[in-house]
Amino acid sequence: MSYSATAHHDEHHDHPTGIMRWFTTTNHKDIGTMYLIFSLIMFMVGGFMILAVRAELFQPGMQLMQPEFYNQLIGVHALIMIFAALMPAATGFANWMLPLQLGAPDMALPRLNNWGFWLLPPAAILLTLPFALALIGIGDGAIATGWTFYAPLSTQGGIGVDFAIFAVHILGISSVMGSINVIVTIFNMRAPGMTLMKMPIFAWGWLITAFLLIATIPVLAGAVTMLLTDRHFGTHFFSAAGGGDPILFQHLFWFFGHPEVYIVLLPVWGFMPQILQTFSRKPMYGYKAQVYSLWAIGVLSLVVWAHHFFTVGMPIPALVYFMFSTMAISLPLAVLFFCWIATIWRGSMTFETPMLFAIGWIILFGIGGLTGLVLADVAADAQYHHTYFVVAHFHYTLFAGGIMGIMAGVYYWLPKMTGHMYSETLGKWHFWLTAISFNLTFIPQFFLGLAGMPRRIPDYALQFADFNAVSTVAAFVLGLAQLIFIYNVVQCARGGKKATDRVWEGAEGLEWTLPSPPPYHSFTVQPVIK
Amino acid sequence: MATPVTDYKVVVRPHCALSPRAMMLVVVCIATFSLLIGIGFSVAGAWLVLPFAGLEVLAIAYAFHYIHCHSGDFESITIEGDRLSIEKHDYKHDSRFVFNRYWAQVFLRALPCGDHSLFLRSHGREVEFGRHFMNNNQRLQLAEQLKKRVGVIT
Repeated sequence: MSYSATAHHDEHHDHPTGIMRWFTTTNHKDIGTMYLIFSLIMFMVGGFMILAVRAELFQPGMQLMQPEFYNQLIGVHALIMIFAALMPAATGFANWMLPLQLGAPDMALPRLNNWGFWLLPPAAILLTLPFALALIGIGDGAIATGWTFYAPLSTQGGIGVDFAIFAVHILGISSVMGSINVIVTIFNMRAPGMTLMKMPIFAWGWLITAFLLIATIPVLAGAVTMLLTDRHFGTHFFSAAGGGDPILFQHLFWFFGHPEVYIVLLPVWGFMPQILQTFSRKPMYGYKAQVYSLWAIGVLSLVVWAHHFFTVGMPIPALVYFMFSTMAISLPLAVLFFCWIATIWRGSMTFETPMLFAIGWIILFGIGGLTGLVLADVAADAQYHHTYFVVAHFHYTLFAGGIMGIMAGVYYWLPKMTGHMYSETLGKWHFWLTAISFNLTFIPQFFLGLAGMPRRIPDYALQFADFNAVSTVAAFVLGLAQLIFIYNVVQCARGGKKATDRVWEGAEGLEWTLPSPPPYHSFTVQPVIK
Repeated sequence: MATPVTDYKVVVRPHCALSPRAMMLVVVCIATFSLLIGIGFSVAGAWLVLPFAGLEVLAIAYAFHYIHCHSGDFESITIEGDRLSIEKHDYKHDSRFVFNRYWAQVFLRALPCGDHSLFLRSHGREVEFGRHFMNNNQRLQLAEQLKKRVGVIT
């Protein structure tokens, strides 16, 4: 007689209760919950910052703040939204769902998982602390270079840059820890019979994300460390006067920064097909095509970085290469769009909140992708670079493609996580208010960009006033709509109608075979996949 | 002397989806890719990327090494004649406990989370079994089987 155990390192025999449960836990569901809550808090912090920016932009001229403070809000908003809201949300889903979907009892390295999460709060404090220090006369505020840290602006900035450098280092370490855990879990902890090509696409999306993080985080870490040594130790990596090259920093940053977009989006592309198939009551279309497309996008994302700075001055062959390689990403992405639409085509669709977000996501993220193609064109980019067209484009990509995708995931899995159903009425209000106000916020910004309004400037010409006013009002509605989301999530966590194990009629996958909420130790009977 | 016949044997071990060879392949692929990027940027003048890439590769290699080291772990119970032996292998640490089959007792201890630990004891010594590699259902099932085979058999 021989048992092949499900419990790889089952160290939760006597799991603590109370506050210590959250500090010391190695349980994947506890850690996943903490990631998601942290992400939601930071989403609100980053949101408040940008509402202050939009308030300033409501009218031409300077009303509410000094330009330096405006720049700080812009930079920290971006860093928080990308590193402390979007990435932790995706990691939260990975923690919650990967073991459940793979038939594993937990993540492969539970303690590493705990450390990875607890690095995040100190990093968030480091990012925002300079605002508070400036109030008591220490330093001149937070990082004011935008999230890109471009030299030589960053080599000359105040202590906010140093704080941000250390914050990015800590966030990078946390990301690498999470990536190692995901890679080891996916490769080693799959239930018997679950071959790689039987894994849910969410696992594939996260595996590629983890590889991208492993490939790019050292480059970011090296770049910001060189920045630090330029600032304080007399090196001249990025100082032209000392024989260095400021353009090198842009290459380093965007070698990380472009894949970062896919690092945020690939997990969403992983679970979105599951949502579409659930509410279409049809099998997923083109599983293999989607897996291969995700890989193609992951690989291509590593070789296209310089399209972010076409206008800096590059040899013609480099411009041509980066233009065509960037455009090539649209091919596998088109395959994904085709598969998503084919999945819902002639399906028996119903429009619960996750499906509404998923359909809205396809359309809005599609706009983000298509406007990206415009920016990939070297000639067009010469006009649109550093305008509000770019701002609108990447918000269609990161807000619609990232955050609205994450919200679809939250509505999809929340009943499974909490064991309660949320209010569908509030969910639908949240969707429609978000979708309408999001478009009203950012469509005007496309036109502002086409008309030549530069980004990162707190004042603007009178001709841009009307579109800015519309954008600001809509941004506040967008912000208020998120309060509905928070209320709905909190109410669902506190109680409500009991969720069934399967929750959704068309849901497929191992996570739906467990009770809602799943027991503290998942899979007391080891699943075997045929 | 006749060779003792094994009356009952149970072996529990962790489930590993990846073979050691495949594990090595994964680590080599990741290391090669990551270090190539580090070397490329070093050549371009950003040599500080390489130490970070190296540290990261070491961390990945250690994570897989840790998993590999524990992939051979096992616990076993063997009943031969009137002898009950429990063996545990945890990386480099081996332990073996031998009880008299008819004096040994099997008992379950309830945990605060609702699960049960499985213990075997005799003459003041007790050994936990299946903590790491068995789930609660499997421990309960094994306890039932052992109770029929050890102690005072009626």
